[in-house]
Amino acid sequence: MTRFVVLDNEAVQALASPHHPKHQRILGYVELVERRKRHAAAISILAPTAVRVEAGWDRNSPQWAFINRLRIVDILLDAECANKAAAIREQAHVSVADAHIGATVQSAPDADITVVTSDPRDIHTVTGGRRVTVVAI
Amino acid sequence: MQRIPAVDEHDLPSRRTTLLWYIERMGASTAIERISRLLDSDMTETSNTSMRIPTALREAAALAAKELKVAPSATALTTMALRAALEAAVMRAALDDHYAEHPEARPDLAEIAIAAAEIDGNPLAADPDRIRRAAAEIAATHPDPEPEDVLLWAEARAFPS
Repeated sequence: MTRFVVLDNEAVQALASPHHPKHQRILGYVELVERRKRHAAAISILAPTAVRVEAGWDRNSPQWAFINRLRIVDILLDAECANKAAAIREQAHVSVADAHIGATVQSAPDADITVVTSDPRDIHTVTGGRRVTVVAI
Repeated sequence: MQRIPAVDEHDLPSRRTTLLWYIERMGASTAIERISRLLDSDMTETSNTSMRIPTALREAAALAAKELKVAPSATALTTMALRAALEAAVMRAALDDHYAEHPEARPDLAEIAIAAAEIDGNPLAADPDRIRRAAAEIAATHPDPEPEDVLLWAEARAFPS
């Protein structure tokens, strides 16, 4: 089964900045994904685009050059996903980025999902009862 | 008066080595950027290839696709494996470049094993010290262990001998 590792805002910030106190820890997850890909495992790191907006991650900006090279997949906030995220936000009163994480999780029913987040409580409210592994950083 | 011969610093061995290293790195860096762009591009366009693969491997892939349903077809299975290998190569290069500049950022075996436990929802994640002890023990006796080896060892140690 495919595994998706979804990053929240702080996970993105920590990965991008070598001076962030959690930088090394987040690199541990990236190292693991790299090793598993090398062994042909179906695993990917995902960044919902609303999370990227919140983190200020502009793929055209040189300051994000390192994280741009880590094969992190953008999950687009298209019309269908926006509807789902809007409903989640309305119900759970979370940030737009967390609502997009929720919509991402709920849109992948056949995958194993891990969310790396600084706010596990908010993530539990947006998964719609879907079984998800939440890693608190 | 004795004349001191001028030294062309481009002829110094260390300088030459550095220059060669730089040229090689730039070549690799350009290749990585190009591979990355290709992996991001439209994958619906396909082409026949004359790539030769061992017959037994091709038959095994066809069987795995048909009987084990690991992929819709042997071609899809090959494509998935190739993509994963290329993505890993690009990630490895990016990480190695990053560690060359920030060596203190490199996570050790124990940290990657803890990450593995956390990502998989393994109950061992609640006991990172146990994982660290297992990592230290396995690193002392096995060359180049994987994070999964550490978790297996940490679990095995819990059983009474």
